Amino acid sequence: MAHFWSSIRDSRGFDALLVWLALGYLTVFSAFPLVYNFVISLQTVDLFSLASFDRPFVGLENYREVLSDPVAGTVLWNTIRFVVLSVVFQLLIGFGLALFFQQDFPGSSYLRGLFLAGWIMPALVVGAVWSWILAGDFGVLNYVLRSFGLIDENIFWLSDHQVSLYSVIIANIWLGVPFNMILLSVGLASIPQDLYEAAELDGAGAWQRFYTITLPLMRAPLGAVVSLGIIFTLQQFDLFAALTQGGPSNASNVAQYWSWQLSFQTYQISRGSVVSVLMIVFVIGVAAIYTRSTRYEQNY
Amino acid sequence: MKKYILLAFAILFVGIYLFPLYWMYVTGLKAGSEIFRFPPTFWPQTLHFNVVDIWVRLRMDRFLTNSLIIALGATAIIVAVGTGCAYALARVRSIWMDVALFATLMMQVLPSSLMITPIFVSFNMVGLLEYPRLAVVLAQAAKLLPLYIVLCRTAFMQVPRELEEAALVDGNSRMGAFFQIAVPLARNGILVTSVLVFLQSFGEYVYSRSLIGERALQPATVGLQSFMGPNTSDWSGVMTYSAIYVTPILIVFVLLQRRIVSGLTAGALK
Amino acid sequence: MKSTILAFAAAGLLASTAMASAEQVTLDLWTIDDPGEYHYVLAEEFMEEHPDITVNVRTVQFRDMVNDLARAVATGNGPDITYIDNPEVALFASRGLLLDLTPYIEKSEVVNAEDIYPGPLASVTWDGGIYGLPRGANTIALYYNADKFREAGLDPDNPPKTWDELYQAAKVLTKPEENAYGIAFSAVATEEGTFQFLPWLQMTGGDYDNVATEGGARALNFWKRLLDEGLASPDTLIRSQWDSTGTFNTGSAAMAISGPWELPRMSEEAEFDYRAALLPIPEEGAERASALGEGDNVILANSDNPEEAFLFLEFLYEQMPRVWNEFGYLPASRVEVNDPKTPTIYAVFEESMKYARNRGPHPEWPRISKAVQEAIQSTLTGQTDAGTALETAQQKIDGVLGE
Repeated sequence: MAHFWSSIRDSRGFDALLVWLALGYLTVFSAFPLVYNFVISLQTVDLFSLASFDRPFVGLENYREVLSDPVAGTVLWNTIRFVVLSVVFQLLIGFGLALFFQQDFPGSSYLRGLFLAGWIMPALVVGAVWSWILAGDFGVLNYVLRSFGLIDENIFWLSDHQVSLYSVIIANIWLGVPFNMILLSVGLASIPQDLYEAAELDGAGAWQRFYTITLPLMRAPLGAVVSLGIIFTLQQFDLFAALTQGGPSNASNVAQYWSWQLSFQTYQISRGSVVSVLMIVFVIGVAAIYTRSTRYEQNY
Repeated sequence: MKKYILLAFAILFVGIYLFPLYWMYVTGLKAGSEIFRFPPTFWPQTLHFNVVDIWVRLRMDRFLTNSLIIALGATAIIVAVGTGCAYALARVRSIWMDVALFATLMMQVLPSSLMITPIFVSFNMVGLLEYPRLAVVLAQAAKLLPLYIVLCRTAFMQVPRELEEAALVDGNSRMGAFFQIAVPLARNGILVTSVLVFLQSFGEYVYSRSLIGERALQPATVGLQSFMGPNTSDWSGVMTYSAIYVTPILIVFVLLQRRIVSGLTAGALK
Repeated sequence: MKSTILAFAAAGLLASTAMASAEQVTLDLWTIDDPGEYHYVLAEEFMEEHPDITVNVRTVQFRDMVNDLARAVATGNGPDITYIDNPEVALFASRGLLLDLTPYIEKSEVVNAEDIYPGPLASVTWDGGIYGLPRGANTIALYYNADKFREAGLDPDNPPKTWDELYQAAKVLTKPEENAYGIAFSAVATEEGTFQFLPWLQMTGGDYDNVATEGGARALNFWKRLLDEGLASPDTLIRSQWDSTGTFNTGSAAMAISGPWELPRMSEEAEFDYRAALLPIPEEGAERASALGEGDNVILANSDNPEEAFLFLEFLYEQMPRVWNEFGYLPASRVEVNDPKTPTIYAVFEESMKYARNRGPHPEWPRISKAVQEAIQSTLTGQTDAGTALETAQQKIDGVLGE
């Protein structure tokens, strides 16, 4: 017993305890839903057999049906575009702003803080506000673009099937920028200033310093931001619900929304679960990349 | 001079970024069909100030109290459970820790809207639905715990290992070193991450909607949704509601923000 | 505690005589209404009349109702009484989750099934049983802005009667420079889109089980033409009926297709002479059709207090003459509406009700509806032509019907 306590207080046992505390919590409250999803993806389930586990087992039949659905291809391609474009632009804009606000000018930290407003707004409200801004006939975005002479005719951001996905992406980028910016600011602040000073003495230009010092040292935060960004983007549901409902004609439908539609609109719950499971498989890949990226972290 | 050019650009960026927020306030102040007008008006022609009406009619005090309870509860659980884990994951490098980190991330893949059915079913089995707000707190904590761990972990990464080792040499236990050295030095990061988690929980919607049936226990987001149901005409009211809901957080945030931002960006020891 | 159990047992055994027991009975009621609307108002009145019965009202969002209800029923947390939208009744009834009201109605002195209009009655009927009582009904018609008609040189007393006339009117009324469209309707990819489209299909002889027809393609192409020529906003594809009609109220559209639920807001916002007409038909002499909406009050099969629940349903049913003036629905049964508000518009809707057809019934209705929505959307976005889109929809629908 004494040994047990000392192992908890003094050695690996302490770390293990801390990790298990959190993992235990997650196992109870998060792992169960994931397993449950997996189980029903192999069964025939309807709205009314949700609570019992005694349901016909159909193996991979649901997977076959989902993958042969003509919508599946559209959804996959949309999901890829949604995730890649959202993450890339969130990162570029977030990183750009982080670098910008890193400079020394009056009010820099104060103004930077205001960007977090995007984080405060509940997704429901964000969705409603953007649906106003993007509205085709009376939206303010069209008005602004027209007054600057950038467009001649109103763009129907939400109902033009060639544009609607990009509209959701724009709103999603807006949501994700503060997170990227703040996290990258933290990373930038932890780079020792003397490294830059030394490089400057050696005659390195601004770009050179960026490539040789900033980027390599930012590898870990960038890895974290990208993988979390991918996960957040895959979790993005409210914007679709508020802006396009995946339409028109599935033009802006993505995996997470499609899964919800299958489960909760046409009550094909097994198929909805199949889509969720496929998303999980994808995220396992992302999580693996993140975990690898942490190997490059600097420990002071 | 350069400084002021930078400042001007900074203000421009902030202005563009915060436009949707501005639009929320302006729409809230417009009356009736002015919101449908094209070209849109950037400042309401007739100010339509219905804050008091909305507050009283929708009993927003009750909704906001519930939001606060849920957000505080979830944040408390997350900080209690997650801080240690973040610390351990920052300190120990082993294949097992990699697996743990990996598992943590994986747990937060699916949107709440897809997690809710299994959560509902399992919570019902153990009788948690009798305590709906607690149920939401527990589910929400599970949702944001991975995010907290990942962010907090970076805060602990910045605490120099040597300081802790010195404390151990001085006769402290690991637990002592954790509480007396690591946590105080990483407190800014912990604080900021907690604030982020708190804000996210304050806006929680899907779980509350499904797990809390009784109106008196619902948070502000559910109130907002039922207010903007399928046949909403009162968009200006919806925006007013949103503004009432967002403004207090915004004020607290602006007041606290020096600390928040410096906490995030200043190295832990500066 | 024991006495409560006994009372419940008695209620089950002795049916109506259990009413005499002084035990307080609680009925859980789920609704899509908010406080101040139908169920809240009438539950209060009912409790005043029956102090021994408490009605607990809970609001569930319209779009969440089926899921929340199914989840609650599956886990044993369901209410005693609930609102269900018309096309969803079959889903629950086919699972044996709803109480068959036929024996209660036979004994009832208030409800007489023959008084209920055929459309609403069909919506609560499944496999020979009656599983609910309509709380009211609605249907759609053509609203038009008579002032704009005059300005454009159209006769406001002679609104479009055929599709052709509708097209001509919409064309004349469209003023792109003023951001004004000729007509507003909803082709959104939800049940509302199906709701709006089915009457057009039915007027040409088709129905939900027979969509791949020449007439169906004609109807769909007619819609497409309205959008392609800019006579209706492209946002028609994503706007609900309510939001579409909102543009009518602000003068951005000269006509709108929607239902009576619009009237309270219209009377507040529309600053012009608005009127209503029956939905135009394909050509003179063609069959008429209209949509049937609104929902039903149903009792869950596992309710502990079916007697009291039915008493409440009877009470709600008795209020039918009030629904138009107070709640904005059309009566679903033959009752006398005294002094109806907006009498001329009421008359139009009342007539339109005669042609209103139920959607389905089919337990898998959402999938049928989804197939129709997909056909509408893929045609209107120009991704497929109407014929192919309807053919695809037909295949999916046949798949569902054949199961």
